[in-house]
Amino acid sequence: MWPHGSIPIKDYAIETPFKKPSKDDTFHEVKIDFNPSSAIEAIHFILKDEETGASYQHKGRDFRVSLVNYLEDDGNMIHAKSSFGKWPDAVEQLPNMVLKAEASCDSKNENRRLEGFYEEQPIVKEVSVGNMVNVAIRKFPDAANIVLHLETDIPGDVVVHWGVCRDDAKTWEIPAVPYPPETTVFRNKALRTLLQPTGNGSRALFTLDEKLDGFLFVLKLDANSWVNFQGNDFYIPLSSARSVKGQSDSESEETSGKAHTDGIINEIRNLVSGLNSEKSLQTKVKEAKESILNEIEKLAAEAYSIFRSSTPSYPEEDSDADDAEPTINISSGTGSGFEILCQGFNWESNKSGRWYMELKEKASEISSLGFTVIWLPPPTESVSPEGYMPKDLYNLNSRYGTIDELKDLVKSLHGVGLKVLGDVVLNHRCAHYQNQNGVWNIFGGRLNWDDRAVVGDDPHFQGRGNKSSGDNFHAAPNIDHSQDFVRKDLIEWLCWLREEIGYDGWRLDFVRGFWGGYVKDYLDASEPYFAVGEYWDSLSYTYGEMDHNQDAHRQRIVDWINATNGTAGAFDVTTKGILHSALERREYWRLSDQKGKPPGVVGWWPSRAVTFIENHDTGSTQGHWRFPGGKEMQGYAYILTHPGTPAVFYDHIVSHHRSEIGALISLRNRNKIHCRSIVEIVKAERDVYAATIDDRVAMKIGPGYYEPPSGPQRWSLALEGYDYKVWEASS
Amino acid sequence: MEVSVIRSCSQATNPKTELGFSDSRFSFGKFNEKLFSRKPNSVSFESPLRRGKSGLRITAQAAQSDRLPKSKSSTKSKTLNRIRLFAGLPLDVVSGGTVNQFRAISAGLKALKLLGLEGVELPIWWGVVEHESMGKYNWSGYLTIAEMVRKAGLKLNVTLCFHASSQPKIPLPEWVLDIGKTKSNIFFKDRAGKPYRGCLSLAVDELAVLNGKTPMEVYQDFCESFKSAFSAFIGSTITGITMGLGPDGELRYPSHRGFAKSGTVPGAGEFQCYDKNMLHLLKQHAEACGKPKWGLGGPHNAPAYSELPTANTFFKDHGGSWESPYGDFFLSWYSSQLIAHGDRLLSLASSVFSDSAVNIFGKVPLMHSWHGTRSHPSELTAGFYNTATRKGYKEVAEMFARNSCKIILPGMDQSDKYQLKESLSSPELLLAEIGTACNKHGVGISGQNSTVGAPDGLKQIKKNMLSENLNDSFIFQRIGAQFFAPEHFPLFIEFVRKLNQPEPHSGNLPTKEGTTTATDSVHTRSNLSIHMQSA
Repeated sequence: MWPHGSIPIKDYAIETPFKKPSKDDTFHEVKIDFNPSSAIEAIHFILKDEETGASYQHKGRDFRVSLVNYLEDDGNMIHAKSSFGKWPDAVEQLPNMVLKAEASCDSKNENRRLEGFYEEQPIVKEVSVGNMVNVAIRKFPDAANIVLHLETDIPGDVVVHWGVCRDDAKTWEIPAVPYPPETTVFRNKALRTLLQPTGNGSRALFTLDEKLDGFLFVLKLDANSWVNFQGNDFYIPLSSARSVKGQSDSESEETSGKAHTDGIINEIRNLVSGLNSEKSLQTKVKEAKESILNEIEKLAAEAYSIFRSSTPSYPEEDSDADDAEPTINISSGTGSGFEILCQGFNWESNKSGRWYMELKEKASEISSLGFTVIWLPPPTESVSPEGYMPKDLYNLNSRYGTIDELKDLVKSLHGVGLKVLGDVVLNHRCAHYQNQNGVWNIFGGRLNWDDRAVVGDDPHFQGRGNKSSGDNFHAAPNIDHSQDFVRKDLIEWLCWLREEIGYDGWRLDFVRGFWGGYVKDYLDASEPYFAVGEYWDSLSYTYGEMDHNQDAHRQRIVDWINATNGTAGAFDVTTKGILHSALERREYWRLSDQKGKPPGVVGWWPSRAVTFIENHDTGSTQGHWRFPGGKEMQGYAYILTHPGTPAVFYDHIVSHHRSEIGALISLRNRNKIHCRSIVEIVKAERDVYAATIDDRVAMKIGPGYYEPPSGPQRWSLALEGYDYKVWEASS
Repeated sequence: MEVSVIRSCSQATNPKTELGFSDSRFSFGKFNEKLFSRKPNSVSFESPLRRGKSGLRITAQAAQSDRLPKSKSSTKSKTLNRIRLFAGLPLDVVSGGTVNQFRAISAGLKALKLLGLEGVELPIWWGVVEHESMGKYNWSGYLTIAEMVRKAGLKLNVTLCFHASSQPKIPLPEWVLDIGKTKSNIFFKDRAGKPYRGCLSLAVDELAVLNGKTPMEVYQDFCESFKSAFSAFIGSTITGITMGLGPDGELRYPSHRGFAKSGTVPGAGEFQCYDKNMLHLLKQHAEACGKPKWGLGGPHNAPAYSELPTANTFFKDHGGSWESPYGDFFLSWYSSQLIAHGDRLLSLASSVFSDSAVNIFGKVPLMHSWHGTRSHPSELTAGFYNTATRKGYKEVAEMFARNSCKIILPGMDQSDKYQLKESLSSPELLLAEIGTACNKHGVGISGQNSTVGAPDGLKQIKKNMLSENLNDSFIFQRIGAQFFAPEHFPLFIEFVRKLNQPEPHSGNLPTKEGTTTATDSVHTRSNLSIHMQSA
């Protein structure tokens, strides 16, 4: 009964492509013939979009066509009198699904067989349309006006809702005439111009006074759909056009503000007029709440570290602290709380020499998986190709690509809504020259430090600096961060990276090597959106067996975070280590600490824990501490449902795990799980671990049995894989 | 376009913008989310909390609290967010006129402000301010704190500590201890004659034992000096003043000395009527009652500090001396002395601060060990004549009501199930008993916890806040390393955030309605919808 082109999916399903019966037909169809006297009671199916991998279900479960009439309806049966969760949609591309079933009646069977029915089930297909808006500005020599040309390939009528501004505050105002044809004034605040159709889109020409600072607009597609630039107005600066006036005989200088609208953005703002103000207020509230929480945690960390070091400090600081008003610094280094991190490289990424360009190709794909932050490899010139032996910090041509390619990559990543972390190696730096003893400890390049910048307690490098404030990394000269000039130079460098490359934050390499208090200085100065440090040391073992209690291990990481005043998070090495033992040895009880909380950093300080299962060192081709093979998805089912900020390793998103990881990420986003979500451990036994998160998500890993209790949440199974299951509350 | 709106309350109020307490989650599609429909034709709003009584209740209250100015009155419509939350500053926040751990305090204050606390509690020590000699006050460190608190935009509840602290070590003023060296009878004494140097005996309250002045006069001068030094803050930043009433600031006798080791069953405690002046008062009283023989000393058959109540016959459940006429005579006198002492100090405070817009508080201990016996030995030795047959907190509440003072009750974090079984302890029952007495007399109750990190402590506190045991404010004791530790502080944040959000009582939710809501809201299961909590 398998239709043509079907392939088996493991041993429980068949995948069959839709076909058009004839060329002119608008419908695709699949015909499944079956013998009515066979024992088949029902056909289950879901629809899968080959292109996007998205699947369409019925009320979160399989579609189900019952072939007999005595089956109990568990709620997902079609042709039962259940209404559909999705509403009929007016979008043209929207496929309606038509079910046709015909079967001859077998009267001998005492159960009446299905005779045939026809039912239309609307489904909502997510279509992401890549549309462009091109804006070109021309300034003709000797003319006092600027001509702005706006063109888009968005089909249908497009109205530009626009204005101009004269200052950085981007305050909308209405410019003087002339206006393009089909322009109306909207509530004295903005102008609306209907774009004139062209062959494949529409356009308009705007003539603007050259003294203006900028051109602001949003696109209005119909009464309810708006396109804006990542939540903001499109903004086209006009001043740059002004500065280049009169250049050569060629007719114009062109600045092209290309804004990739990345599909038609579902602009909620104007869905319900009147709710606008409420909505934006609420968004602000949410943002403010996050930043306030971050601020509170930072302050608490500061207070904690001082109280803990019982030496009272006497008020020489009075004066400066006194006038320190409680200003709230939004840039917290810990992101929005809803971040999901992607490590955008592995140990081999340097091999091709064009990683930046390769990654650029994948930008929108990574973003569409649901990631919000991407971590790029160390960008500096390095003695080793992977980048972790930096030499000239200001030389950003590396085995991953050139500085220009890097900038271009960062721009693309920003374009698809990803924040970008630079991997900065602050602990050590390779020297350019030897000292008189032939030891390599004299630096060149823009930061031409001498041996005073090298710590004094590593005999290999004969530094003249102070003793190291942390552990030494023996393969290169360790930088002495206690030197003012070193700190000043590093701060300048980080700020330069922020400015020049556009990095939004940092992944800090080997932070065990120096005191976290210096990291605080660096982060305070460079104001990253997100920062995470690699504090990796060994867990505690007794006679080769990992101890259940890893409090000492996580305490060391928490101490480091504290030393940074909570300005940075840290990789939750503790959680990775415990997952190793729990999964490999079937000791799932390890996933609950003595107090019934998660045993890693995430159990103590979730908002600063960056959970991960693998990185370029532990896995990839190095494999220093590889996650138990075959159990990766259990690891991801854990970290992607739990609080903390989860990080996914590049190798895993290009592996066969990709779709499962994507599904977990979208489940996390859908249920608004964030770094401070509340986890309640329900079971931590030998062969199963189960927990509920924020009362919205339940999960289990391990071969053992667990089903969430039937309660007011009404759990429904959302995802299932090898030794893991995730449920969502459906009420 | 079809808009279906499911709301639990028609009165839409904008959420408070100031902070992250009301845990309403706003979820919109991410702004850079790929778009699937250009013509969304249905929007539904739904509260993530199920439609139900609890959801409706918050909404209404939020609206109400916006409109009502904070008023002390009306305990009827008590809600959690009307209980003002304070946190205590470290006991040794000031020493020798300077602020310790200045930066930590300053960071801590900001954190508490952002968290939305009403204010902080500041212990001001007699032994710090009037350290050197009588009448010479040094308020400087505390003034710095008051200024920091004011700048931080917080309120201040000041505790005037006329007692000493053992941990951290903050003794009574040096000159007082000097006097005590020669006149040890200014201190309470136990049966063995051992003085308690943690505070003055209540029997000397009105005796001129301090360089010609009575302790009451010295306390009064202290209060007057405080009032003038802090005049700029009183009524604005300083909204409450807690009068120290005895050992650890509590209205009680020092019947338990030293710290009980955790995990050991506390003893019954000892009566403290053996300093010369107490004995003198007892003798007078006995004579007045016509029982001179009863005035020669305390009960001879009471156990010692750490002995179990059963170690001797005074507290025996049945036929113990406490139930005898002698027992009644002694216990009545012993407890009335304590109440009279409290009355003296609270009326002093009320009169000194009568023209200031501040609330006066006094603290009553929660002597919950042995509450399960008939005689309540711990309460009796501490000075509360409260037994299975006699309601003893009535007089205490009356005394507070008489002085228009509010009561502070500690131990709000203690739950019965974590008490040692052998100690027959019941903090919850005792709290309810005192709470009832106070409510009856209209005495406002402010709560405190006894420790940081008691098992399920925050849960218990919240439970108490919801009950009649608490109606004014709660003072969390106290900030410090343990408070801000990553093991504790996130829990505290969660606690504060949840205060405005009543626990969903599953019993409250009509299940039928839940089902219909679920079907109504099928829309929201799709990515296309917008979820928005309306309150």
